[in-house]
This record gives sequence, structure tokens and C-alpha cells, in this order.
Amino acid sequence: MSAVLGPERPQVVSHVQQALSYTVFDCKWVPRSARLMCLGSAARGTGVIQLYELHGARLEVLREIEKPKPIKCGTFGATSLQQRYLATGDFDGNLNIWNLEAPEIPVYSVKGHKEIINSIDGVGGLGIGEGAPEIVTGSRDGTVKVWDPRQNDTPVANMEPAQGESKRDCWTVAFGNAYNQEERVVCAGYDNGDIKLFDLKTMSLRWETNIKNGVCSVEFDRKDINMNKLVATSLEGKFHVFDMRTQHPTKGFASVSEKAQKSTIWQVRHLPQNRDIFMTSGGSGSLHLWKYEYPAQRSKKDSEGSEMGVAGSLSLLQNVTLSTQPISSLDWSPDKKGLCVCGAFDQTVRVLIVTKLNKI
Amino acid sequence: MPVWLREHSWRQSLSAVYLSLPLRGARATAANIFCSEQYLKVSIPPFLFEAVLYAPIDDTNSTAKIGNGDIFFTLYKKEPAMWDSLTLANADKEKLQHLRENAVLKAQEKAKEETEAKKITKQENKKYALEATMKLEEAERKRIEDLKEKERQKVTKELELWKNQQKDGDKYKSIQAKEELHEEKEPLKERKNEKMNKTRVPNEGSSKTRLRSTRGRGSCSIFSQDLKEEQLPAPRAAATIEVTFTPRVFPTALRESRVAEEEEWLHKQAEARRIINSDLSELEDLKEEEKNPDWLKDKGNKMFAMGDYLGAVNAYNLAVRLNNKLPLLYLNRAACHLKLRNLHKAIEDSSKALELLTPPVPDNENARLKAHVRRGTAFCQLELYTEGLQDYEAALKIDPKNKIIEEDAEKIRQLIQGTMQSS
Repeated sequence: MSAVLGPERPQVVSHVQQALSYTVFDCKWVPRSARLMCLGSAARGTGVIQLYELHGARLEVLREIEKPKPIKCGTFGATSLQQRYLATGDFDGNLNIWNLEAPEIPVYSVKGHKEIINSIDGVGGLGIGEGAPEIVTGSRDGTVKVWDPRQNDTPVANMEPAQGESKRDCWTVAFGNAYNQEERVVCAGYDNGDIKLFDLKTMSLRWETNIKNGVCSVEFDRKDINMNKLVATSLEGKFHVFDMRTQHPTKGFASVSEKAQKSTIWQVRHLPQNRDIFMTSGGSGSLHLWKYEYPAQRSKKDSEGSEMGVAGSLSLLQNVTLSTQPISSLDWSPDKKGLCVCGAFDQTVRVLIVTKLNKI
Repeated sequence: MPVWLREHSWRQSLSAVYLSLPLRGARATAANIFCSEQYLKVSIPPFLFEAVLYAPIDDTNSTAKIGNGDIFFTLYKKEPAMWDSLTLANADKEKLQHLRENAVLKAQEKAKEETEAKKITKQENKKYALEATMKLEEAERKRIEDLKEKERQKVTKELELWKNQQKDGDKYKSIQAKEELHEEKEPLKERKNEKMNKTRVPNEGSSKTRLRSTRGRGSCSIFSQDLKEEQLPAPRAAATIEVTFTPRVFPTALRESRVAEEEEWLHKQAEARRIINSDLSELEDLKEEEKNPDWLKDKGNKMFAMGDYLGAVNAYNLAVRLNNKLPLLYLNRAACHLKLRNLHKAIEDSSKALELLTPPVPDNENARLKAHVRRGTAFCQLELYTEGLQDYEAALKIDPKNKIIEEDAEKIRQLIQGTMQSS
């Protein structure tokens, strides 16, 4: 672990803090704007979507939308830049896509799962990547389903437990490898520590592994390139970084792991402007900013001559404790480098600015 | 009796007295010298020298130099005057004693005062040091705070700037969009082909810099939307991928499992398999399969199913002799005894089974449940209802959803209440 000099380290500056009257489960920046979205569950058991705008040192509420069921997660990943529709998954297993200008009726709605949708991701929108826009949802009923907003009612891909198999909760999903129109990969993390990589082009399981502790969050460093790195965070403060460029036939992908915070690491998010920097948020209310350094050679030959990946190393750039409660959601702004929003279980949403990222 | 040192020599000036005292081979240290205002003593056992001085001296400034086998005193007089002699000549014993005591007392007092003074100065010094460090730290903290503030303000300003530009961009784009929508489609398409390359490039270029060039983006976005719609592939053909999850001996995730206990249980089972309590002489005439406890257990189960309870008991007995660590043998034998109404034996066997079924883990839940139920039944048939109820409640704890056990437990409770009322 190399250390960056004191005054040159990136600083995490808390810009705005806003107390909310509901539990916030997910917060996301609205692309191409200084607005952000908070999703959650109000005390009376209904779902809340709030739209805020950043005004100087305050967040101003632009719109507040209430829905019958609490909302767990949302993404802008599968919409175009003009439409900016929000796709949400709620506690009842419904996947809805909303037009925020007219939020009474969803643009797309399907009861995708029998139980709560824990995680959602979108690809193909926002001018990132190529191919059809698709949304993937992972649920407590053990299934991972991929939806196309142009096709109603049925998913275009369904990853479900085999007949008779006991199911494990799926806690997180992420898209990756979407570098051309055909290729796409979905990574899913489960509560028993399984990480599975599904290839949507061949409709098969490409790789799986088990990291012993439940997987809270997975993310590729970029969705729209040939898959490069995957970070998977888990309970008990551990996270793993997999080098996804070289797959060994038996050993899979090389990885480096780090045990950083004593509690669950809830989220990992890569900086959109630099794919080797990512932030992890922890159950003790802390944020850690990491940098991944590549090894001298990313792959080497093993004794039988097959290619095997070499994992690099991690260095901690900064850490800061913002809250006493877990920080459950985190999102970098794709438009302004270093601007991020995080939502914690102490019912506050905070806008932070991470400085000096240019110097890394 | 001390040896007096008398061979001293002295001389004086107006302000000081110089006294030289040969030590006759004894070694002196500072501790051996005692000096007060009017009294001087050197005591190196067994040697002793004392002098009650003619006039008071300034004992704090006076010095004694030890070396070369003698001590050289430089005593500074309080009042500059020439002394007639070094010591007070006609001092009688009492006066001397008195003087000595005074001297000692005075010395003690002085010592005390000195320590007090030292303590006070030390405390003050400490306080001062503390304050100084605090001030330094404050300054440091303030400096860092200021730096942070400055950063914050700088960053806030940048953010505002960026945001305003975004807003302007948005407004401009919406105006653009409205304007262009009013135009006809065909000129749009023509322009599309020409302008596509031109506007694409500035758009990509500006994405690298901070902000987008609004004009390019405005017109490009409409074009790109059209383009994109043409280029989107059809929705994927639906397919299902089947998934299996990592198996574990105990189907619980790490966070739920009680690993230590489970390991213990597995270990015990493995051990139990390996034990063979063999009594070779008796068993020689048995066939190979009859020496296998598992085979015997199966035989016993079959006989139980057919109703041959005595035969089953025999099979289990032999199995136990071969391996007395398998809890299932005792469990099944208990069932046989129940059917044969050997209630005490049934209780014994169920208890033994329960003993072997520690530690309690989900894996041996079923077996424990059965053991409790069987023992409970035996107790009840012996009319020991309270013990029976205890076992039934334990069984209920393992499996709260079992209706039959619940009903039986209720019946027993009522029986108990009935007997209590009548007795």
C-alpha cells in the first residue's frame, strides 16, 4: 500500500447535508444536470421519489412523488439523454420506468419478481455503450432478470435457480462488457457469497466463484468496454477486485482483496472519469477512496501454459467518517469530476466533493 | 567512638575562610559533609570532624572540594570581618549541643523549603509547556480548517459556475429543439447527412472538455436520436439460464452458520463411524455383514416395520456392541422398547441417544425431535406426566409447527391439571 503525501491527498469535502423525512435507499444524479434523485420508503409504508436541485449550499426540492410501495433501487442507465426516464424496483417486485415530468403513470411496468427487487442496473442508455437499452434486476426470490423496455411482460433473459434447488437471495447486479452491440455480461452477487457472471450473448454462465461472505455490491469499472475490472464488496469489511481481462480455465479470474472497514461494505462506485479510482461505503458510516494500481504484467503463463491473470495492488487515498449509520447508497456525478452524493440510514443525504482527483 | 580529625589547617581573608582537612585515607563524598550557618561537620565513619564556626557563613554559596585525600572548604563569611579563630573557643558542652541541634533543624528547614520551591517551579514549568503546546496545536488546527474552508469555497464556486452553464445549456437546447421541430422533415434529413460528420466531431471533442458546446449538442441530439432508433438492435430472444448455488454441508451462509458447533458435530459423526468396539472372541462366528453396524441397523428397521420388535431389539443390541457411538441405534431401540412396553428401557435409550446428539445443530434436529417425543411418551405411560410434558415442550421448541406434538402436549397438560385438582 503506497501512501500519497499529506497535503496532496484528495480531500472529501462535505458540501450539503439534507435531512429527510423518510428512509433513503438509493440516490442517483440525474444525468447532465445538477439535480439528484432520492428513492426510499416513508414511515407509512409508501414509496417516495424526491427530486432535488443543488443551489449553492442547499438542496431545493423540485418534486416529490409518492408511490404505493416502498422503492428500493433505481437507475438512469437504460434511458436516452433526452428522455431521462427513471427505472425503479420496489419492495413488491415491480419494475417501473417513470417519466419524471409525468409521474402518475409509468412508461413501463411489470411485476417482475415475487419478492423485493434488491438491485437494478441499466445499460445502453445515456449515450454510453452500444446496443439495445436493457435493465437487469436482482431479487430476493433468487432470480436475476434482464428486461428490454420495448418488450412487455416477459424478460429477455432469466437466471433462476434450477428445479428443486434451494434459492439464495440475490443482493446485487451489474452490467458489463457492453463494448459492441452483441456483447453483454451480467454479474450477480448473492447472499451466500456466490458471484456469478452470465454472458448474455451466449446465454450461459461464464464464471462463478464464492467469496464466503454475502456479496453486497458488485460493479465493473466501466460498463461499455471490454471487461477490465470487477469490484465485489461483502459483509465483514472485505472487498475483492478481480482482473477480468484474463480468464483461466480452472482458476477463473485473478483477484486481490482488502479488509478495510470492520463492518459491511455496502456499496462500491467507480469514478466515471477515472476507472481506477473507486469509493467504498461502509456500515460504520465511513467512506474510503481507493486507487488500483496495475501490476507490471497483467497476465502470465502458469505451469501448463495457460494464461492466468495477475492482480494488482490497492492503495487507500482517503477515508472519512460522515455518519454513525451505514451509508447505503453512493453515486458519482457523471458530469462534474469529484461530485458525489451519498444516502445513509440516518435519513440524511449528503453531497460531497472530492478534491484533487486530477493529481492522482 | 569516632576518631576525631584534628589536623586541619586554615587561613582567612576578609570575606572568606579557607579550610583544608586531610582525610587520612578515607574517601569522602558530598553526603558526608554537613554544613549550616554556623556549624560544619564531616562524618566519614569512623572519622569525625566538627567545628562550631566563629561567625555565621553563607552556607549556600560556600563550596567544598573533595580530592587528593583531603577536603578543601571555601566558606564565605556573612559579615566580612577577620576571625580570631576558626571555631568558637569557649563553647561549653550544652551550648555546643544547642548549636548543633539548631544547625540540624535549620538545615532541615532549608531542605524542605528548597523542595517546595522546586515543586512549584516544576508545576509552573509544566503548565507553561502545556499552554505552549496547546497554542501550537490550535494554530495547526486552524490552519488546516482554513485550508479546508478555502477548498470548500473554491469548489462551491466552481460548482455554481458549472451548474449555471448547465442550465443555460438546457434552456438553449430546448429552444433549439422547438425551433428545429417547426422545420420540415426533408430539409432536416438533408442536413443530417451533411452535418452529421461535422456536428458529431465537435460534440465528441467537447465531451472531453468540461462542458458541451450547446449549439452542437442541440442539433446533434435530435439527429443522434433518429440515428439511434434506426441502429438499435431488436430485443433479445428470451432465454433462461439455470443456476446452481454453492453447496455446503450445512445449507447456511457463513453469517448464519454456527460453524464451530457444526464442525464438532461432523467430527463426532466421523469418529463414531470409525469406532469398532470389538469383542473378537464372540463375534468370530458371525458373518461379515453381521459385523457391520449399519447393516444391522437396517435389519433392525426392517424387523420393526414388520412388527418383530424383539428381533429388532436383538439386531440393535448387536449393533451397539459393535459401535456404541451411533445415536440412531439407541433412538430406534427406544422405539422398539416403547412398542414392547419396556418403558424404563425406552427412557434409558432415548436419553442415551440425546446425549450422543450434542451439540444441537440443524442437521440432527430430526433425530432429537424423535428422541424427545419417544421419551415423553414413555414418561406419560409411566404416569410421570410432568417429565413427559418437559420432553414434549423440548420437542415443540425444535419444531414449533408440528400439530400432533402440540395436541399431545395439551392433553398432558390437562391430565396434570386434572390429577392436581383431584388430589
